[in-house]
Amino acid sequence: MEVLLVGNPNVGKSVVFNRLTGVGTISSNYSGTTVDYLRADMMVNGKKVTFTDLPGIYSLTNGTEDQLVAAKMLHSANPDCVLVVADATRLEPSLVLIFQLIELGYPILVAMNMMDTARKRGELDVVKLSKILDVPIVPTVAVTGEGMEELLKALDTCAARRSDFKVSYDSHIEAYLEVMKLGIAEAELKYPVRGASIKLLEGDEQFTEGVPKDLPVQVRKLREEFRKEHDEDLEVHINRDRYGEAGRIISEVSRPNVQPRTRVQRLSDLTMRPRTGIPILIAVLAGVLLTMIKLGGFLDETLLSLYSDVVGSFFSDLANAIGGELGIALASGLDLSIQAILSIVIPYILLFYLILALLEDSGYLPRVVVLLDGVMHKIGLHGQAIIPMLVGMGCNVPAILATRVIESRRERLILGTIIVMAVPCSAQMAVIIGTVGNHGGVLYVMAILAILLGLVLVLGRLLHKALRFEPTSLMIEIPDLSRPRADNVLKKTGMRVKEFFVIAFPILLVGSMALELLNAYGWLDKLVEPLAFFTEGFLGLPAILIIALIFGVLRKEMSFQLLVVLFGTANLSAVMTVEQLFVFALVMATFMPCMSAFAVMVREYGIRDSLIMTLSSIVLAFSLGGLANFLFGVL
Amino acid sequence: MVSENIEEYLECIWELTQDGTPARTTDIAKKMKVSPASVTEMMQRLDSLGYITYEKYKGVTLTDSGKVIGETIKRKHRLLERFLVDVLGIDKEKSHDEACRLEHMLSDESERRISEMMNHPKTCPDGDPIPAMDQLCARKDEDSSVLSQMSEGEEGVISHLSCDDPQKIRRIIAMGFVPERCLTVEEKLPMGGPVLVQVGDCRVALAKEYADLVYVNTKRRCQKRQRHGAE
Repeated sequence: MEVLLVGNPNVGKSVVFNRLTGVGTISSNYSGTTVDYLRADMMVNGKKVTFTDLPGIYSLTNGTEDQLVAAKMLHSANPDCVLVVADATRLEPSLVLIFQLIELGYPILVAMNMMDTARKRGELDVVKLSKILDVPIVPTVAVTGEGMEELLKALDTCAARRSDFKVSYDSHIEAYLEVMKLGIAEAELKYPVRGASIKLLEGDEQFTEGVPKDLPVQVRKLREEFRKEHDEDLEVHINRDRYGEAGRIISEVSRPNVQPRTRVQRLSDLTMRPRTGIPILIAVLAGVLLTMIKLGGFLDETLLSLYSDVVGSFFSDLANAIGGELGIALASGLDLSIQAILSIVIPYILLFYLILALLEDSGYLPRVVVLLDGVMHKIGLHGQAIIPMLVGMGCNVPAILATRVIESRRERLILGTIIVMAVPCSAQMAVIIGTVGNHGGVLYVMAILAILLGLVLVLGRLLHKALRFEPTSLMIEIPDLSRPRADNVLKKTGMRVKEFFVIAFPILLVGSMALELLNAYGWLDKLVEPLAFFTEGFLGLPAILIIALIFGVLRKEMSFQLLVVLFGTANLSAVMTVEQLFVFALVMATFMPCMSAFAVMVREYGIRDSLIMTLSSIVLAFSLGGLANFLFGVL
Repeated sequence: MVSENIEEYLECIWELTQDGTPARTTDIAKKMKVSPASVTEMMQRLDSLGYITYEKYKGVTLTDSGKVIGETIKRKHRLLERFLVDVLGIDKEKSHDEACRLEHMLSDESERRISEMMNHPKTCPDGDPIPAMDQLCARKDEDSSVLSQMSEGEEGVISHLSCDDPQKIRRIIAMGFVPERCLTVEEKLPMGGPVLVQVGDCRVALAKEYADLVYVNTKRRCQKRQRHGAE
């Protein structure tokens, strides 16, 4: 049995999907967290059920790239049941989407989500609504799991029948529908006559399988006629009637309470009013940065000293037990890999993801979008680009995927380039703070961040001038602020950090053991020598660092971890000057995307543009590094 | 059907009269690369056709119908140049010559589609402005104002949507901006930022570009279904 989860953005589809299938997906409090579909198989009452979680859609007709993914899946999947997740606190848009799905003949089950908040705001008669719409409705509170069992039970009822509910359009539109009915042979159609006709009238020619060839042409003429007569588009009237119908139904089934303004609502207003919002924004950003540097540094130190207390002489004993060069290589490889995890992944990366999760779930991010929209226009983007950039401070891979919420390819490219070149991911941030931050001071970190911010502006400006077409504009729904739930924050952080342990740790372990071995036999120096003119001469770094740079392509944080391995000590200030650390951190901050980021770029932007972006980032990184080295020499 | 030659002349005169003064026949001759005598002859013909008014020693001005043709051709020319350079990657010099030939053949419909596809470019490759297209729909409503012009705190009922840009219209429809719905302007962000609007139970930030397409009747009161209660 195929079940598709469909709904407006930010109604909690992914949370319902998690609850139903137990498969981990990321959910946040803003539109467009899910930009691709995700499938999971499950056994329900002894039957195999495949659930597919789709990106949120406002309408079946037209939309951004992520919304097209959803529309395409609806066409191709032939679902046995469309599980519509509706938001009980914002019913109108959910109803309008349900109308369209009913018209197209999909079997529907509605999860009326966020019932807890809705109940506080007034009464909602779900039974009556279910009768009017002629579809089964299950009240749910996905975040607590309420109603999930009932949903699974209702799946069979969903598949069994289709709703007879009809939206009544104005007489003009109904007359068109009557005329069109004559020209269509019911039997050959994939969708019901009425549904397909309405979609055609809306100017959407995706649902016309089986419709006579000349009909779309005739309808185009009808639409032109209508426009001349009414000075307005036909789809405007169709949707006006849908919202009208939705409004009527809501007034029948709900009785809202008058409520006093809550403290959260007042705070919400403050975050968006420029006079108070901008200081709040600056405070939030400064807070995040300081927490990363101070708390991260503290965790880093504490964990390492705890670790050395616990381990004691274990690794030197181990080396002796195995014996010889091999023993030392294996033991210290293992030791240093664990140290690297403790001093990088937990203090910086885990911490950043915790902060990001809190920001995401509070619903604060869309407010940043609104506040910074004006500024972003200067670099050819609009405010919505902020969210992928912030996500990119965690990891570039989901950030590049998140650029799909931007509607024009031009802006996706600008944004992608900025993310790849100038937005430091958490691993790059760990490199910056862990190297020059810890051994040189906060000022150096600030200097690098300032350079990166400058790069964002310069790159954006240049691309804005160089790329074709006019920029597009912002349109985004602002969710209510809400208190982040500990379980979601922790789960999300756990999922995002997991790969550092299961994928990165083994690579690091093998890599560092191999390097230790090479080092032990004195081969390492010979390998790096041919490139020494570049590393030493141009960048002013120890020749051996080229290894760290190369491994940085695999995973960014590894370049830092390998510093520890290469020098055999975590005390970097003993082996490198602050200037050298600065140059190294600067190069790493702008250096080419890691393997996984590159793979995603190819998928999203194509091989040509990805290669251009990658090559330019290499050139940029080394030029900046060389320039910094040169300036340090002059000063 | 107006001949290409006439269109060329009107386009040229349109450009020369942009500074608000009549065009001189010598300038026209220079620009069109023809002799002053043939310009004079042509001017008399255009005058008799009602496209221009031509007074000896004073110069040439366009009549309303001449202006429409001149501007349309210039607009198509500049849009085509932009299209050839940006989308097809043809160099500027060539694009000019080619646009000169294509401008007479391009239908209004295709022009609109090209403009839409490129999200309505505002300047040609040389930086000269592309004149705005006529609006498709000129629905006037005395009590309605454009959403982008409303002030903070103002509310009303959406009366209609402009219909000049189907793609953008679809997006605002999808966000729930349809006639008969109530909205309140909550905030207008500075620096060309968006307008923050409460529509139904949703709060939407939308850029001026979109807010320009929504017309709101501010005289009509909406029945409030109280959700975000007042203080």
